[in-house]
Amino acid sequence: MQIGTLNREPPPFFRQGPSALSKLAVCSAMAFFLMVADARFKVMQPVRVAVATALYPVQWLALQPVNAVRSVSVYFASLNTAQSARDAAQNMRITQSLRINQAEQLALENERLRKLIGMRDRLQSAANPAQVIYDAADPYTRKVVIDKGVLSGIALGSPVVDEMGVVGQVTRVYPLVSEVTLLTDRDHAIPVLNTRTGARGVAFGDMSIHADAMELRYMAANADVAVGDLLTTSGVDGVYPPGLPVARIEKIERRVDTAFARVYCVPLAQVAGTGHVMVLEPLTAQIPPRPTPDPRPAPARNGAAK
Amino acid sequence: MIMRPGQQLLLPVNPLFVWGSLLAALTLNMLQNMGLWGRATWTPDVLAVVLVFWTVHQPLRVSIVAAFVFGVLMDVHQGALLGQHALAYTVLSYLAIAIHRRLLWFTVPSQAAQVLPLFAVAHAVELGTRMLAGGNFPGFGVFIAPLLEAVLWPLATVLLLIPQRRAPDPDAHRPL
Repeated sequence: MQIGTLNREPPPFFRQGPSALSKLAVCSAMAFFLMVADARFKVMQPVRVAVATALYPVQWLALQPVNAVRSVSVYFASLNTAQSARDAAQNMRITQSLRINQAEQLALENERLRKLIGMRDRLQSAANPAQVIYDAADPYTRKVVIDKGVLSGIALGSPVVDEMGVVGQVTRVYPLVSEVTLLTDRDHAIPVLNTRTGARGVAFGDMSIHADAMELRYMAANADVAVGDLLTTSGVDGVYPPGLPVARIEKIERRVDTAFARVYCVPLAQVAGTGHVMVLEPLTAQIPPRPTPDPRPAPARNGAAK
Repeated sequence: MIMRPGQQLLLPVNPLFVWGSLLAALTLNMLQNMGLWGRATWTPDVLAVVLVFWTVHQPLRVSIVAAFVFGVLMDVHQGALLGQHALAYTVLSYLAIAIHRRLLWFTVPSQAAQVLPLFAVAHAVELGTRMLAGGNFPGFGVFIAPLLEAVLWPLATVLLLIPQRRAPDPDAHRPL
């Protein structure tokens, strides 16, 4: 009961529950427990799934006005915009169709050559189209939420691409939606291949310099990298299929005092505000099991032991 | 019963309205995120404002535990570190409990000035936990959010007290 209302209940002198300080202590301890269990031990995904499922109706309700406004604005988009978009799409289709025709022939040739020298076939991965519903609100990371989840067969760790290149990777799967960590997230790393030189490297997300960028780390100061080089997935990670465009090198800083060059890249995919994406199946399932290691280890050579 | 001078005698609150308004604030937060501003840092946390409001006005109904639960819901929605909002809202709610007997004796603008530090502390707790957990500094927009939340306080006072300000005996001349 509150002072200053017409409430007719007797004043609850004796049923005020535990004191505020004890509640604060218990709830803070719970919050710390949740944080540690989530960040350190990664055991909170079932709880998240349960809460997210309970929260889904509220989310759906909040999405309705958003969807309505979006569809109305799309409806009223001018004819000019639609026509220019169509022209751009047609141009792209013509250039792509040329490459597709060549690619088919090359794929056939590649397959025959591979058979000839007895190599395994290139791995193919199934694609699952999805739509980005919204950016996850957490400003400390770079994540988006897509409208497909476990029920649509999305697996944890699936690579996500759009028409320009790799967008990111599925890092949390809920029944109806999934969370995709973008390439530009600080904790996201992707193995890449420089298409000009064939050198492999690892690109990390970088939110520090400007909004959405990436950094190619651990490139020696005298490594052969140039501004404008195209980086594609290298395929050595067993997750991303090889050859998907990832980023283009934007700026290189070589300093005297460090052994590594700082290489800044811009992702090719529309990482901010993407609409439609493709969720590929991770290659992990298709990769043959690792050969059992030799039971008697070879004597460690110099530099091999770390 | 001590009457506060110059303030209307209020009707008892409807619990459904309390929980409904909290849920509506959660939906509004989601709407801000999903439709209006995306991943902006400066957006006011409407749920925090409504939580503080009900903790101050109805400390026996909306307690720290409720704040904690709503914090977990926010965390799951945002895909943030689980427990980050829960901790911030717990602290926020505790501070609100600590000042709830004093706060309502002041005028509404003065109340807004007094809840500003609460919101600032809540955002600082959130920022601090994320920096400790190894996040990036999200930008100076985080310092605008508490100000906006304090600005929303008078609006919350007007909107959320409407059901309690109705006449106790509505008739043809006073339908509400």
